[in-house]
Order: sequence, then C-alpha cells, then structure tokens
Amino acid sequence: MNIEATELEKAVLIKVTGRMDAENAHEFDQACDRWITNGTKHLIADLDGLQYVSSMGLRSFLSVAQKLQSASGSLILCGLHGLPRQVFEMTRLIGVFPVFETSQQALATL
Amino acid sequence: MDSPVRRLTLPASAGSISTFSEFVRDGAIAAGVAEDELGKLDLVLEEILINVARYAYTPETGAVEVAYAQAGPSKLLVEIADFGRIFNPLAADPPDLSRGLADRQIGGLGVFLVRSMVDSIDYRREADRNILSFIFPIDGSPAGG
Repeated sequence: MNIEATELEKAVLIKVTGRMDAENAHEFDQACDRWITNGTKHLIADLDGLQYVSSMGLRSFLSVAQKLQSASGSLILCGLHGLPRQVFEMTRLIGVFPVFETSQQALATL
Repeated sequence: MDSPVRRLTLPASAGSISTFSEFVRDGAIAAGVAEDELGKLDLVLEEILINVARYAYTPETGAVEVAYAQAGPSKLLVEIADFGRIFNPLAADPPDLSRGLADRQIGGLGVFLVRSMVDSIDYRREADRNILSFIFPIDGSPAGG
C-alpha cells in the first residue's frame, strides 16, 4: 500500500493505492492521525488505486471517520470501485461515509 | 475431497497470510476460479487467519494448517486448522449494519464478509483442533447470495 497526501485549501487529499490489509492498515490510521492532530477537519480519501481492503482496513476508515466527526469534520471517500466497493457495499458502509466518484466532486461539497 | 489434498503449515501470524494466500490461489486458479474473484479468496483467508492469530492463540503463538482440494466441478474446499484454545468465530453475533457513523461498532465485519463470500462455512472442534472449513465458489457467485 502507498499513501500520498496533498494539502488543499479546504481539505487534505489522501491517495491510497495498492492493498490495505491486516499488516498495513495501521499506516493509514497513522497518516490520518498526523493531519487530525494538526487541526485538519476534512480528509478526502482517493481510493481509485485501492485494489483490496479487508476488515482491518474498514476498521481504520471507521476509526478515522469517528475521530473527524467528533472534531466536527469528515472523512470523504471517492474513487471506490471493484472489490473495495463491493466490501463497502456488503457492510453497508457506503451509507455511513460520504462517497463521491471523484475528488473534485467531494471538494465541491466542502 | 475429489482432487488430491494439498496442505501447508505456518506460524499463525499476520506475516503468514500472503504465503497462505499464494498457496491457495494456485489451487483456485487450477480449479478455474476467475482472476477477479481471487481478491475475495484472499479476503476470506485473511479474515479467518487473523481471527486464529488473535483469539485462538493470544497471548501464546502456534501453528495453523491450511488445506484445500477441489470438491466437485465448481467448488474449492478449504480447511483451516489450529491447535489453539476452543474458538468458534461463527458463534459471534452478526454486526448491526444499520447504525450510523457515531454508533458503528468497529469489530465484527470480518466474519460477516467471510459469510458473504463463501457458499458455506462450518466450524468443528476435533482432536484439540479448531477446524473451519469453507466452500469457495468457482463460478464466482455464492449460492447463499
């Protein structure tokens, strides 16, 4: 898994590529925690390049989103497709997170 | 099991998951599982193996054996066995998927995903071993939906 963060005007865009699994999901938490600690309110996770996510990854997304919500912020997802999208749909997390096709659409809501 | 059984034993730890995954993928590909379904097989194996490492063995460690064989023309039978304490992951209550973000529980989704992706799954305790056996569909659509 590779994580690349870009600071934008209203949010931080976090591009996640590869496989998010039991061995590396904590890296996503850590990357997000650094931004949350610095006062970032909105994180947009661009998951276009995400090929695989297991329940450990879902756990990370939920935990980050709950932290942001309690700080009056949000975790917005975009680019979900393939197996990761199926996993989010099966667990009905699509309705729990704001989900957009593209990061531009996500940014437009902020 | 209709075809020869293949077995692999490794330490029950997150670090063994990718090796087990490669091992079972060989059998899945030979049995005709489509390339784009292999991620689901990886996910099922990861969720089960993480549970074994976390609940059957913690705080001690131990070995886990994964065995597979083709069972009939359109099914792959996989068995995962450990020597840890009695632990049936299928006995857990299903997660409440109707809750919003603030109340969503963070655990319990792994077993739910496993059940969604296999045709059937069973637990048995046999000779001091926990054995989870599941049937993975070769045509890509679990019979149970």
